[in-house]
Amino acid sequence: MNLKSYVDLVALLEVNPSSREENRAFGLTQVLLKNRPMAQISAWIDLYHNTLKRPLLSETFSSYLYNTTLTLVLMAFVLGFLSGLGLLSYNGAEPVNVIYFMVMVIVLPLATMLLTGISMLRAKSAQSILVHLSPAFWMEKMLSLLPGKIQENITAFKISPLLSNWLIIKRSQMIALFFSVGLLLALLAMVVTKDIAFAWSTTLHITPEVFHGFLTTVAFPWRDFAPSAVPSMELIEQSQYFRLGDTLSKEMITHASQLGEWWKFLAFSTIFYAIFLRVTMFFISSFGLNRALMQSFLTLEGSMRLLKEINEPMISTHAKPTNAAFVSDDMGYGQIVNTLDASYDSVQGWAITKDEILVLSDTIEVITPKHFKVGGTNSLDEDDEVISKSDGEVLLLGKSWEHPANEFLDYVIDLSRKVDKIIIMPIGGSENPYDIKAEDLDEWAKKMASIQNEKVWLKLSTTKLQSGGV
Amino acid sequence: MPNHRQNTFMHPKFAVVGHPNKGKSSIVAALALDDSVHISNTSGTTTKKRSFPLRVDGKVLYELFDTPGFQRARRVLAWLEKHDVSADKKHEVVQAFINEHKEDARFNDEVELLEPIMDGAGIIYVVDASKPYGEEYEAEMEILRWTGQPSMALINHIDDTDYSAEWKRALGHYFKMVRTFNPMQTNFEQHMSILESMAQLKEEWIAPIKVSIKLFTQYQEQMFESSASLVARLVYESVSTVEKLYFYTQEASEEEKGKIERNYKDRLRDFEISTQKSIEEIWNHDHLQKEEKVLTFEGMDLFSEETASVFGLTRKELLITGVTSGAVTGAGIDLLFAGHTLLLGGAIGALVGGTGAYFGFNELSEVKVLGQTMGRRYLEMGPMENRNFPYILLGRAMYHTMKVAQTSHAKREVFDIEMDQTFKEKWLDVTSRKSLEKYHKKFRSGKALDAVDLKAYEALLNHILRHLIDG
Repeated sequence: MNLKSYVDLVALLEVNPSSREENRAFGLTQVLLKNRPMAQISAWIDLYHNTLKRPLLSETFSSYLYNTTLTLVLMAFVLGFLSGLGLLSYNGAEPVNVIYFMVMVIVLPLATMLLTGISMLRAKSAQSILVHLSPAFWMEKMLSLLPGKIQENITAFKISPLLSNWLIIKRSQMIALFFSVGLLLALLAMVVTKDIAFAWSTTLHITPEVFHGFLTTVAFPWRDFAPSAVPSMELIEQSQYFRLGDTLSKEMITHASQLGEWWKFLAFSTIFYAIFLRVTMFFISSFGLNRALMQSFLTLEGSMRLLKEINEPMISTHAKPTNAAFVSDDMGYGQIVNTLDASYDSVQGWAITKDEILVLSDTIEVITPKHFKVGGTNSLDEDDEVISKSDGEVLLLGKSWEHPANEFLDYVIDLSRKVDKIIIMPIGGSENPYDIKAEDLDEWAKKMASIQNEKVWLKLSTTKLQSGGV
Repeated sequence: MPNHRQNTFMHPKFAVVGHPNKGKSSIVAALALDDSVHISNTSGTTTKKRSFPLRVDGKVLYELFDTPGFQRARRVLAWLEKHDVSADKKHEVVQAFINEHKEDARFNDEVELLEPIMDGAGIIYVVDASKPYGEEYEAEMEILRWTGQPSMALINHIDDTDYSAEWKRALGHYFKMVRTFNPMQTNFEQHMSILESMAQLKEEWIAPIKVSIKLFTQYQEQMFESSASLVARLVYESVSTVEKLYFYTQEASEEEKGKIERNYKDRLRDFEISTQKSIEEIWNHDHLQKEEKVLTFEGMDLFSEETASVFGLTRKELLITGVTSGAVTGAGIDLLFAGHTLLLGGAIGALVGGTGAYFGFNELSEVKVLGQTMGRRYLEMGPMENRNFPYILLGRAMYHTMKVAQTSHAKREVFDIEMDQTFKEKWLDVTSRKSLEKYHKKFRSGKALDAVDLKAYEALLNHILRHLIDG
């Protein structure tokens, strides 16, 4: 997993190329990658890589990074080389003070590495001042002002602060490394092409013994296997330089050939402090960048969802989206009666017992010579017999909460062939003194509307009975 | 006559059947966690059977059928009774009825509801115990007995009145198992309990239904985790987001200040709305209609900060750049003097560079190159500094998630998400608040989001959600 994969993942999550089903299918087929989230993401990116628009943002981004890094590295190398030449420039009259070079190859690298270390610890911060100190950061800011479509794409791509900080840290190490390589090459070039007299000079009151002790400490990494690269006490004494009088001491002139011996110490100092330690820092920053990458992969919006879709069983309880539902457009029924007549030729009750019909008839003050139970536990033959006995005007009672099924409608149609008029009267339940709910009445009206029979009338108004009931 | 039930073992199937308009579709919606099921007060709304399979990675573990209600039960029973057969042949007569009336529009509903049963589905007979028992149900139950399939009765309560005692007495004659289930007020435990009862209908269904119950538990876990993850992302994004508005005058106008505030608030509201939508989808409430007050920012002291950038660098970045450039230039001068300047060049360079960058920032931003000013001024609002805001947002998100998770898929009325005072006071205890504050502080700091922190924050929210929903 690298930066390119990260940019590809960002782009892929934006276009969302796969469905939940496809992601789970991918998880089931990639059994070997189970419990390895990064490997799963990587394989997923490879699978859908081709769906991304060309040129790939990852390629544009990588090439931009490569080019800017190369430019910065080359500039650092040249700057390092020129700085080396400047530091070691020797006009033959005055020796080269090794302290300046030591500052450049020991103090400066150690100081910047310390800052880098702090930057690494604070890399999570979106506005890390120490990261802003890096030349890589501000030089890139300058480069980003250059016009061009690529720049626009790059600017539009928002990289996580953590990743961006680690990128800058790593690239800063590369820049510093090449700067140091430039210094080392300048040192070697000057040593080879010129006869440089090195000396050490300081205003501070430092005795050669103290300075020797300091240098021996500085040279601890190589003093055992390259003792000649550690300045001897003798060399230090011979190369101490006082500018007072503006002339070289006789002793220095006597040992002029030995003054050049300092170069070994300077070269080893550069190799160890400015190059070896910097390479170490580079590897640490590479490791840090990789970790930041892993973290950024997992904190990227959508990546956790993707992993869940890949790994978690896909559970669905849904039906296919087609929902075959019939909704009637009939909103009402035209043949309505509001008051009942005093008598009917017969009163019938749908799934209502004969005793209940008698009570109901009494309650609604309807006189009739015939009471019949229909529907319910009656057989169809029994219903037919009731029809055969029916004539004139029929009051047909039904339970308002039991909306009429087709069976009821069949009966009404059959009955209508035999009688002159049918008044259908839904009756409420006893719990709420037989009150009929408006929505139940609507349902009855809709059902009656579906048969459109001129003999069939509906007693639609809310009916309250005094006592008794179904 | 072919007997489908004697074929190789298939996944358990259950047909939800009954009288029209007794809540069959509501029960199916609740058991299948599907709010797309058409539920209506109008009887006969369902005219075709509809399958609701529980699929895990494409494999069906069990299947639920929503069916039309009986319309001509007595006629069907009369047809069946015309065939005088022994009990072991009765199911064949039912199959014969289906075969003979497949194209008969009069028996469309009966054929639709009997087909899955004759295909091996267990029967779940639904009645509404808020209405009195009636003899017209007996023909339906008798037909179901003819099928010979294992069956249970489910007592639903559409209204508050209760006739369950008389219903239980009647149902007991036809069904060996009678259970009560209110699809409008169901919860996870009740749902699983009904599944367990369904498993008891046939011995070979016990194992697959047990697996289904286990998967449902896992499914619910997934829903909790995904919701917590979305809420965590909502809080993080809302707290850390920064809104910018560029302006081209010396000073931002009141209108521009108002605009950035509106944009900022709208952005936070959009975050919340899209998170809510995603959470509803997670809990299979894609069709939820809700009423809710929009997110308000009362007493939050939102203010926009006027700032600018030169070369794309903020004042601070330019200051650092100035210091660094000055130091490098000064160090060059030091080199030229072979160090005799005692590195003062570098120090002075840094000071001059830094001071210049700091005080020259405004002037530099006014400089025009090719008609364009080098600097850009903008108003900036965010990240949200108000310490209460994450809790307001979290409270709303938690309440919404809780309501969505607890709402039955059978409900179709508009859902009111108005947080009550009790919830406001009780959803968060002191310990949880302290734990949450640690993460909110990190979100506000502008630090990169740490995967471990995010996971821990999600776990914390998951715990709170579980406590709220499961009690």
